[in-house]
Amino acid sequence: MTKLENFTKYIMAILTGLIVAALYAPIVMTIFFSFYKSRKGKVNWDSFSYEPYTKLIFEKQILESLLNSLYVGGVTVICSVIIGFYFANYYHTSRGKMKELLQFIIFLPFLLPPIITGLSLLIFFREINLPRSLNTVVIGHTIFVLAIVFKIILNKLETLKPSLMESAYDLGASKIQAFWYVLLPNIKLSLIIAGLLAFTISLDETLITLFLIGNDTTWPIKLWAKMRVGFSKQVNASVTLILILTSFLVLLIATIISRSEKRIMY
Amino acid sequence: MKLISDYFRTSIWTVISFILVIFLILIPLASFLSYSFFTVDGLDINHEFSLDNYKEFFIDEIYINTFVRTIFLALVVMSSCILLGYPVAYFLARYAGRYKYVILLMLIIPLFMSYIIKIYMMRSILGYSGLINKVLKMMGLIEKPLEFFLWNQNSVIITLVIILLPLIIIPTFTSLDKIPKNIIEASFDLGCKPFQAFRYVIFPIGFPGLVVGGIFVFILALGDFVTPQLVGGTSGFTYGKIIYSNFGMAFNWPFGAALASILLFVSVIIISLTNYLTKKLKA
Repeated sequence: MTKLENFTKYIMAILTGLIVAALYAPIVMTIFFSFYKSRKGKVNWDSFSYEPYTKLIFEKQILESLLNSLYVGGVTVICSVIIGFYFANYYHTSRGKMKELLQFIIFLPFLLPPIITGLSLLIFFREINLPRSLNTVVIGHTIFVLAIVFKIILNKLETLKPSLMESAYDLGASKIQAFWYVLLPNIKLSLIIAGLLAFTISLDETLITLFLIGNDTTWPIKLWAKMRVGFSKQVNASVTLILILTSFLVLLIATIISRSEKRIMY
Repeated sequence: MKLISDYFRTSIWTVISFILVIFLILIPLASFLSYSFFTVDGLDINHEFSLDNYKEFFIDEIYINTFVRTIFLALVVMSSCILLGYPVAYFLARYAGRYKYVILLMLIIPLFMSYIIKIYMMRSILGYSGLINKVLKMMGLIEKPLEFFLWNQNSVIITLVIILLPLIIIPTFTSLDKIPKNIIEASFDLGCKPFQAFRYVIFPIGFPGLVVGGIFVFILALGDFVTPQLVGGTSGFTYGKIIYSNFGMAFNWPFGAALASILLFVSVIIISLTNYLTKKLKA
């Protein structure tokens, strides 16, 4: 290694460190202010308390929005994984040319600015007289995450040998048996990864949700509304809890991926 | 007989799939595009074809100006993300050794962490009595707090860069990580200087990932309306914010739809252009 290369290497290492710090700064500050008080920009170091976390139980609105978010996320996972599997399987097995067009359409809501997906659904629901509710939010989220779910499952399907399903049929399995006993165990992990990812994205989706939400609120929308009056410490506490949940989910996804990769290697 | 039934089966699959995407994706898009040709009449939508909305866009300077300024803003965000993100991806792929996936994971996690919170907290970092000003003051670099960080275009740019940066790093890393070490060594053996090896070997291989990330960042920055709303103040409003306001307070859905149609049109052109260019580069 030359001196110059060493020098650029250290510069890049420092830059990487700074960027990690910059990405985490807003998050660390939120967690910090859920424990400590500050007045006029000065931190009161003696004010440590975890009271906001216990007080959170009495914050009906926040809890309700959290529950709504969990509901939306859960239903989104179920819908997107089922539809995503359906499309991936169709794309994988069909030989027609239409499947390319289909893939292109599925990817549209993911590639276009979210504002366009949001307002096109908003206008569509108005035209068919469907009142806005949590369920319309579910539809929006499902369409948004569908491309990712589809791609993850498709990638897995493409690693399977065609002989796998053929031998199942040859050995006399019915279609349902072949799916349940042969295909499903093989693609199980990809379904779980896709589902977890869909849930994590849905939990924090804001741009599409803002258009589709009715009188109920999901958690990010509640934050958006609270922002005008400023955050209470209970809000900061709820943020911290959700941050723990999302980090856990991402770590879980990463562990599953790295484990399943090892299994393929050996 | 079997062939016919097979054909029948796949065609039913095709029909169901297309019905699904047509109802979930295409009809909403079409209804939104058609709305852009309607007009508003008090609280009712007048379902008659007219080009008024588009006329207004081209006549009233403010809309074109904002649009051009927002494209420029998205370009600045994209280039900053590339300038900051590329060295990080390069460092991870080439020098970070066994820590590379750990650091990558650390860079991915913030992507899924509350979008609203990140923007909100950027206020207390960039603000008049925010973190940056305090640190600079403590170091004695400034006497009066700097004001150009908050409630203007700069704050929108900084916030968007912080939010979107992982989107550049991840795909760039993935394509750089695929480069086998011996290719780089071979280029050195053949007499390449380090810069030449980067210019002719590493950069071209990592380029597709950079383009994918760049496009994502550009499109998301172009259509964002929450960031300018929260940190942009009065001078930092963007095109996305104007679209959103037509669906809220202003309640002029057809005009908002027309503005969004123009955004859609430009996004589609940009996506297909880069798609075409990267395919041509590969060939």
